[in-house]
Amino acid sequence: MVDLLLVLQQIFNGILFGGQLALVAVGLTLIWGVTRILNFAHGAMFMMGGYAGFLTFELTGNALLALPGAVLVVFVLGMVTEFGVVRRLRDRDNAEFAAIIGTFGLAVVLENIIRGSPLGSTRRTLPTIVPGVWEVGPFFFVAEQVYLFVVALVALGLLFAIIKYTRLGMAMRAVAQDQNTAKLMGVRSDRIYAITFGISAALAGLAGALLAPIFNIYPSVGWQPFLLAFIVVIIGGLGSVRGTLIAALLIGVLRSVSLTFTSSQQTSMLLFLAMIVILIVKPTGIGGVIDG
Amino acid sequence: MSLAESLRLTVSRTQTRLKEDLVGPKGIIAAFGILLALAAPFVLREFQLSVTLQILIFILAVSSWNLLAGYFGMFSFTHAALYGVGAYATVISAAEFGIPPLVALAIGGLVAGLFSLPITIPALRLSGSYLAMVTLAFAEIIHLAVITFRDVTNGPTGYTGFAPMFGGDRVTFYYFVLVLVFVLLIVQYALLVSRFGLIARAIREAEDAAQMLGNDTYRHKLVGFFIGSALAGVAGGLQAYNILIISPPMLELNQMIQFMAMSIIGGLGTFSGAILGVIAVVGVAELLRGVIEQRLLIWGLLLMLIILFFPDGIAGSTTQRDILKQQFDGFTDLFGDTKERDK
Repeated sequence: MVDLLLVLQQIFNGILFGGQLALVAVGLTLIWGVTRILNFAHGAMFMMGGYAGFLTFELTGNALLALPGAVLVVFVLGMVTEFGVVRRLRDRDNAEFAAIIGTFGLAVVLENIIRGSPLGSTRRTLPTIVPGVWEVGPFFFVAEQVYLFVVALVALGLLFAIIKYTRLGMAMRAVAQDQNTAKLMGVRSDRIYAITFGISAALAGLAGALLAPIFNIYPSVGWQPFLLAFIVVIIGGLGSVRGTLIAALLIGVLRSVSLTFTSSQQTSMLLFLAMIVILIVKPTGIGGVIDG
Repeated sequence: MSLAESLRLTVSRTQTRLKEDLVGPKGIIAAFGILLALAAPFVLREFQLSVTLQILIFILAVSSWNLLAGYFGMFSFTHAALYGVGAYATVISAAEFGIPPLVALAIGGLVAGLFSLPITIPALRLSGSYLAMVTLAFAEIIHLAVITFRDVTNGPTGYTGFAPMFGGDRVTFYYFVLVLVFVLLIVQYALLVSRFGLIARAIREAEDAAQMLGNDTYRHKLVGFFIGSALAGVAGGLQAYNILIISPPMLELNQMIQFMAMSIIGGLGTFSGAILGVIAVVGVAELLRGVIEQRLLIWGLLLMLIILFFPDGIAGSTTQRDILKQQFDGFTDLFGDTKERDK
C-alpha cells in the first residue's frame, strides 16, 4: 500500500516547487499574451539571473542583495533583447518563426559566452538564506523552500497588481487585446513591448537567483526550467497568467509525486505526455484565452 | 483574375522557374560539384574524406528538414531526435538481428518515419509556435526514452564496435553515400517540383486558402512529415556507419541547433540552400577547429545575425522570393479581406 503520509508530504513539496515554477512560466506566458512571440531565450534569462545574483553576492558579500541585483540586470537584458532582436523581426511576415530562431540563437550565444568566460568554469552557488528544516506534525519542510515560495508569491502578487491597477498594466492589456486600437488611443506599443519583455525576463532572472542555493548555477541550467515552463504554459493556456499559476502548482505536485515513485527521466516523459494530451484534448489549456 | 487562374499561373511559373534552376547556370555548377565529389577519394587524405562524408550526410539531414520547415512551413524541433532514432534502428537491426546493413538503413528510415506519426497526428493540427513547442517536447521524450530504456538502447553508453559497412572499405563507403545522397536529393527535388511540392508551398503561405481550393492539407502535411523524417532517419543510419558509434547526444538539442543553423544560413525554403549551408558551416567549422573552441557560440551568433540581417540566407535570391510572394499575396489578400469582414 502506498504510504499516504509520503504522498501528502510530496504534495506539499510539489506546491512549494510549483510556486517557483510559476515564476518562470508566468514570464513566458506574459510575453506571448502581449506580443504573440515565444521567447526561446527565456531559459537563458533564468541562467543569467543566477549569474547576476552570484556576481552581486561576490561583490557585496550579501546574499540578500543577490535578488535585486539579478532582477535589475536581467530586466535590462530583457529590454535589450526586445530592442536588439525581437523588434527587428516583429513586423515580418513570418515574425513568429523569425522570433523563434532569433531568440533561440540568442539563448545559444548567452549560454556559450558564459561557458567560455571564467564564470562558467565551475558550478556556482549562493548561500541559503533560511537554513534548517521545519517539522510540522508528521511533515518536514525545508525552510529555504518555504522562503522561496513566499518570495515567488510576493513577486507574482506585485506583477498582478501592476497588470491590474497601474496605467502600465492597463496599456499592456490594451496592447495584448488589439495593438492597432491601443496605438490609436495613444499607447506607445513599442515601449510597452520592451517593458513587458523586461518584466518577463526579470521574473525568470529572479527565479534563477532564487533557486541558485538549491540547484547551483551552470551555463546550461536554464533549459530544464524552460522546458518545464513550456509544459506549464501549455497546460495553463498560453497568454493566461491565472491559468499558468494553477498549472504551475499542478505540475509541481505531479512532478514531486511522480519523482517519489519513478526516475527523473520517467517523470519528465510523463509531464511531456501530459502536455501533449492536454494540447490534443483542449488546446486552449486551463485559462483558455489563446486565439492562435 | 479568378482564384483558380491565379493558382494555375503560380503553378506554371514556379515550374518554369525550377526547371530553369535545374538546366541553367546552377545546373552546370551542380554538375561540376558532382564531378569534384566523384574525384574526391583520389585527391583527398583520409581526414578530408571523412569531412566530405560528414558534409554529404548532413546535406541529406538538412535538406529533409528544409523540406518540412522551408517548404511546408512546419517548424519541427524533432528532426535531430528522429535522425537519432534512425541511427539506433539501423544499428540495432544490423548488430542485434544480423540484418544486412543496406536493409538496415532502409529499416532505420522506415522506423524514423513511423516515429514521426504519433508526433504529427496530434501536432499537425497546430501551427507556428505551438508546433515548435510540441515537437520540442517530443524530441525531449525520445531523448529521455533512449536514455531510459537501456535494454533496447544500451542507455547512456550507446553502441560502439559494430561491424562497418563494406568490410571497413572507406572509399567504397564514400561512393555508396555519395550515390545514395544524390539519389535522395533528386527524389526530393522531383517531389518539390511536382504538384505535391506546390501544395506544400501553398500550405506554407496560406493554409486556409490551400484547403479551400480543395486540397487535403492535413494529409499532405502528414505525408510530407513522414518523408522528411524517414530521410532524416536514413541520414542518421549513414552517420552511425560513418562514425561507428551512436549514443544519446546524437538526439540532443545541440544537434538540432546545428541542422537549423545550416539550413537557415544556406537559405530556408531553397533547395540549393540546404546544400550550400552545410558546405559553408561544416567548412567554416573545420577551418575554425583548433582556432576557436566555442563552435556553438559561432553557430548561435550566425543564427541570430542571419535571421536579423539576411533572412534569405546564402541561396535565397530576393527576386525569386518576391515573385513567389507576389503570386501568393494575390489570393491570400482575398481571404484576408473576407476574414476582416467577418469580424
